[in-house]
Amino acid sequence: MIRRRDQIRLSVRKIGLRRKRAVFSIISVALGILVVVTVNSLVSGIRDLVIRTGFTEEIDKDVIRVTHTPRHYGDEESSSSRKRAQFLSDELLAEFCEWKEVEAAAPEIRIQPVNVEALAESPRAASHDYAMGAPEALICRYADARELAACEGVIPLVLGERFVKLRYHERTSKFELEDPARVQSWIGRDVTLRVGDPMGQLERFRYDYDKKQWLRLSEEEIAQRRKHIESYEGEFDKMIHNRLLTLKGRVVGFCPGTRLLMPEEPARLCAKWLKQRNDLARLRPVEPPAEYGPHGRRAPREGEFTRATVLLKAGTNPEPVVKRLKEMGFGATTRQNAFESFLKEVDTAMKIVKRIGYAFGGVLLLLACGLLWSTTSRIVSDSRADIGLFRALGATKGDVRRLFLTETVFLGALGTLVGIFLGWTAAYWISRLVLHIAAGEISDPEEMLMIPRSLFSVDWTRCALLLAGAAAVSLLAGLWPANRAANVDPVKALKRE
Amino acid sequence: MIRLDNVSVTYRLKGESVEALRNASLALDGGSFVAIMGPSGSGKTTLIQVIAGLLTPTAGNVIVSGQNLRQLDDRAISEFRNRTIGFVFQFFNLPSYYTALDNVALPLVFAGVSETERRERARALLDEFGLGDRAIHKPEQLSGGEAQRVAIARALINNPKIILADEPTGNLDRDTGFRVMALLQRINRERNVTVLLVTHDEKAAAFADRVLRIEKGALAASLPPPLSPPTIPVNQRNDRSSDSPVDLQERVS
Repeated sequence: MIRRRDQIRLSVRKIGLRRKRAVFSIISVALGILVVVTVNSLVSGIRDLVIRTGFTEEIDKDVIRVTHTPRHYGDEESSSSRKRAQFLSDELLAEFCEWKEVEAAAPEIRIQPVNVEALAESPRAASHDYAMGAPEALICRYADARELAACEGVIPLVLGERFVKLRYHERTSKFELEDPARVQSWIGRDVTLRVGDPMGQLERFRYDYDKKQWLRLSEEEIAQRRKHIESYEGEFDKMIHNRLLTLKGRVVGFCPGTRLLMPEEPARLCAKWLKQRNDLARLRPVEPPAEYGPHGRRAPREGEFTRATVLLKAGTNPEPVVKRLKEMGFGATTRQNAFESFLKEVDTAMKIVKRIGYAFGGVLLLLACGLLWSTTSRIVSDSRADIGLFRALGATKGDVRRLFLTETVFLGALGTLVGIFLGWTAAYWISRLVLHIAAGEISDPEEMLMIPRSLFSVDWTRCALLLAGAAAVSLLAGLWPANRAANVDPVKALKRE
Repeated sequence: MIRLDNVSVTYRLKGESVEALRNASLALDGGSFVAIMGPSGSGKTTLIQVIAGLLTPTAGNVIVSGQNLRQLDDRAISEFRNRTIGFVFQFFNLPSYYTALDNVALPLVFAGVSETERRERARALLDEFGLGDRAIHKPEQLSGGEAQRVAIARALINNPKIILADEPTGNLDRDTGFRVMALLQRINRERNVTVLLVTHDEKAAAFADRVLRIEKGALAASLPPPLSPPTIPVNQRNDRSSDSPVDLQERVS
């Protein structure tokens, strides 16, 4: 019986007879494995990145976001569709407040940039999008109760959403997105926060720190600012030039939650500005009631709204309230279920990506399998004389079969190893590229802290499975040619020679 | 040592039945040197293939070294070939990707012998045959005579009881052929190895003790060779060998 070491040596020598074909086989196996390994090495990292940075719902655990769920009216209105179609109203919020679990309820807690200029020019004509504000009372109470207790001497800057841009330019001492590691070094820096229209419209107002009020700029000042902005626009991201609600302050830390902390004074000033902005927001035009007929969607009438926030009493389980709200036909989002549904979406997307990658890799591996089969068949055809000789010198059919199976397994395993190595290399560089792009896109310092250092991960179990799988597939590919080799008639093979 | 009882080998060729061997019976003692002669297609090669167990006869029994080859399975018959039979072919059959040393050691690979032992034994044999300095040469770097001696060394490496030589001189010039025959004769006498030689050449057959004629698959009674072995001139010696030309001539004569 031939020794395993000799078997491998003999196989490798025979592979050498068809070097080009062998190289092609190895490359084709490697390509299939490369795709699978690359996808596999990145998917969990990308999932992690998306979960860390993509979940932007800032809902505290004792808050429920209630939304009107738009539905079309049917010709025959059922009681449930009527329920779903109803809008939120002050009466309904008052009803929520009577529930034992609820501490407060108010419409919309979101704070969005307000186009002060547009509102000042023509408050009632301002776009609905820009004028959406939040009742300040609820925000303050909410912030005071939850955040301030945890952070002594500072007020969390509750400026939610994506409209606060912090970027630090070393040259100009202004903030800009930099390496995530530098985020910590921001603490202690003077910052200029600009909350406002991300499109960077020209400022027509300025805040007078002494008088503590907004003043309209003169035409000369406006022209001067226009010139100043134009000189900057080419050099910096337009996002930096939000020219509304400028605030100077100092970063004192990052709240354990996701909030940027500022000294009390500038933070209070900021809160004041927000209030002013939201006051302006209340001046939004009253939209006329609209009916779109029995088949259409109805717009909210005066006194009705589509979103509200319900603040629960400390230590209350939100689930019964959520259930009750849903029974009433409203959408109810808590931090938990928002994260769960986000997670579900991410997982579904990742599953699809994985499946596509695996399917593609599988097709490539199938092709590689064909090439392995053809290579081994060719080697068998070329080796008939050697097979005859080996049989004459004492090789059993099993020896010959193993010899050729070893060849295909060797080719398959080598291709797999090359593929794994190339896959890891590709995944590593893709990871770097994605993180680089992500770092360029993200300007929120809190979000930057969430960016992982690498998306690349090695799943050793899967690698071992891949190797075993490739060996099994190679075995399958080599089985028929190896059997053919084992059944070569030595008499005929020697006669050919 | 070798016994054939009414062995027949029939195969089909283009729809017709061809009898390669017809009721062939034979009994050879160990240590004999027999030349099998006959015209082309008479069944000479078939006969040695049957003896080697490469070909299963259609009828009859083949008993070699006490083993009935018909009763052996693939593993046993492979082991039998590996341990009992040594092959020498007309066209040497030396894989080109192996050195002379590796070629000689090849049967030991199938015997599961360790690499160190294989190399030691192969080198000793090559030295004995005067090919020590050719050990790392590939077959294409060897002369015809050297290649055939490497093939003979390969046939001997596992100390077989029988050497089956199928026209070993067919691809060599006359003198080199005689020297190869002399080597086989020496092996037969010194190692007491049974040699079955298939040849067309009466002069090559002269090295054997007896000549077995075969015609249309039927064996005739064995007779002493009609010719005496030729002498090998000293000045025509091409191949290097451990034994001197004079010794060789003496042995041949």
